Amino acid sequence: MKVVPSRSSEWVRPVTPQKPASAIIEIDHVSQVFQTSSRRDHLALSDISLTIEERAFVSILGPSGCGKSTLLYIVGGFVSPTSGAAKMKGKAITGPGPDRGPVFQEFALFPWKTVFGNVMYGPRQQGVRTAEAEAQSLALIEMVGLKGYENFYPKELSGGMKQRVALARTLAYHPEVLLMDEPFGALDAHTRTRLQNDLLNIWERDRKTVLFVTHSVDEAVFLSDKVVMMSKSPGRIRQVIDIDLPRPRRRSELLLDARYQEYVVDIERMFDESDEAGSPP
Amino acid sequence: MMSPADLARRAAPVFACIGLLAIWQIASLALKNDSFPTAIEAIRAIPDILGDKEALINILASLRRMAIGFGVAVLFSIPLGLLMGRSRAVAAFFNPLLMIIYPVPKAALMPIIMLWLGVGDITKTLVIFLGVSLPVIYHSFEGAKAVEEKMLWSGAAMGLSPLQRLVRIVLPAALPEILTGCRTGLVLALITMITSEMIARQSGAGNILFNALDMGQYDTVFAMIIIVGAMGICLDAAFERIRARLVRWSEPQFDLPLSFS
Repeated sequence: MKVVPSRSSEWVRPVTPQKPASAIIEIDHVSQVFQTSSRRDHLALSDISLTIEERAFVSILGPSGCGKSTLLYIVGGFVSPTSGAAKMKGKAITGPGPDRGPVFQEFALFPWKTVFGNVMYGPRQQGVRTAEAEAQSLALIEMVGLKGYENFYPKELSGGMKQRVALARTLAYHPEVLLMDEPFGALDAHTRTRLQNDLLNIWERDRKTVLFVTHSVDEAVFLSDKVVMMSKSPGRIRQVIDIDLPRPRRRSELLLDARYQEYVVDIERMFDESDEAGSPP
Repeated sequence: MMSPADLARRAAPVFACIGLLAIWQIASLALKNDSFPTAIEAIRAIPDILGDKEALINILASLRRMAIGFGVAVLFSIPLGLLMGRSRAVAAFFNPLLMIIYPVPKAALMPIIMLWLGVGDITKTLVIFLGVSLPVIYHSFEGAKAVEEKMLWSGAAMGLSPLQRLVRIVLPAALPEILTGCRTGLVLALITMITSEMIARQSGAGNILFNALDMGQYDTVFAMIIIVGAMGICLDAAFERIRARLVRWSEPQFDLPLSFS
C-alpha cells in the first residue's frame, strides 16, 4: 500500500466522550426463507444475530442478493422473519412504527403531495398541531437544502432532491432509528457524494441511530461507526468491523487518511476472497 | 395571450365538427334520399325538440337515470376495485365473477331484468350501473395493484392503519388510473342509457329517437343523434376538466388534447 502523509495530527481533538452504549435494536437468530418462482425455498437470511447500539451509525454491507435489505425490512417491521426475532428497546418488533423511520432507494414519496405536504404528512398523522408541524416542516426542508421548493411536486424534482425530501419526511416524525435502504443507490456519483456529506452533517446534530444498507464499500466506511459485512446465499454475517475514524468526518480529509484507505482495501479484499472461494462455508 | 399555434389547437375540434357537417350536407344533397336529411334540416329540428316540453322531460329523465346509474356505480366500484387490488383474497373471490360478466353486453341482460323489474327507471338505471361498473372496477383494481409497496410502508411507519392506507395512500395514488376508468364509464353510461331506452321504450332520449324513426320523421332522428352526441361531448369535456385538475401532480401524458375541454 502506498504511504500517504498522515493527517492525524489535525485530529488530536478527543473523540466525543461516549456514554456507555446501550442496545437499541437486537436481532436474535433471524432467518428468512422465501419461496422462489419455481416453488423452491430460498434461504435469504441464515441465523443472523446482531446488536445495534444507541446513536451508532451502522452499515450493512454486502453484494446484491445477500438479504441485507430484507434484514432492514425485518427491523422496520415490514417483513416478518421466518424464525428468530428482532427487538427494539427490548420489545419484540411486530410491525412498522414511527420509532423506526425508513428511507428507501425508490424515494417512495407521495406524488400527489407537494414537498411541504410530504414532510407534513407524518407530523399531522401523529397529531402534532398544525402551526407546530408547519414550522418544523419548513425548518427540515431548509435543513435538507430545499428551501424555496416547498410547493413543488415530486415529479418536478431531480432524484437527489427527491431523496432529500424523503429524508426530511422521515425525520419529521422523529423516529429514534433511521432505516436507510440503499438511499443513494439510484443517484449519480456526484449527487451521491453530496448527499453523503449532507447526511453526515445532519446526523452530527442529533446522532440518531442509523441502520444503513449499501453495497458500496467507500460509502459504508465513510459514514459508519460499524460495518456489518454480509455474504451471499445464504445471507450471513461475515464479519463486523468497527470503523475507528474520528468525527466529524470530512471527505476531502478522509480520502487522504491511511486508516480510511486501509479499511476500504481490507474490506474489498475480504469480499474478493470470498468471491474466489465460491460460496462461503 | 394565445399564440397562433395554441389558437389553432383549440379551434381544431370546432373545425372538425364543421367539416363533418359539411360532408354530411354534401352527401345528403348528392344522395337525395328521404331517410337521409341534410345537416341543415337536422339542425333546424333541434330547437323544435328542445322547445317541446314533453321531449325535454324525456331527455331530463334520461340524464337523471344516467347520473344515478353512473354515481352509484362509481361509489360502488372504486372501493371494490381498490380492495381487489390490495387483497389477494378479495381479488380471488370477485375476479371469476367479473370475468363472466365482463364480455356480456349489458343490454343483452335487459330482457331478463325487464322481466323481473319491469320497464321502469330501476331496470334502465341498473343496466347503466352494470355498464359503468366494470371499467371503473377494472381501472381501480389496476391502479391499486400498481401502488408502490414502499409508499405503503412509508405510510405504515407514520402510523397509518390498513384502512387509512387504503383511503389516504392507495386511493390518491391510484386516482389517475381510477379517473381514466370513470371517463370510459361516463361514455358507457351514455351508450347504455340510449340502448336501454331503445329496448324498454317508455321514456327518455332513446325513446324519442326510435319513435321518430318509426314515424319516418328522419330530421328528428338525426337531430336527436346530434343532441345525444353533443351531450356526450359536453359531459366528457366537463369530466376531463375535473380530471385534469385532480391529477395535475401526475405525469402529463399527451400534448394533444384528447377532448373538447
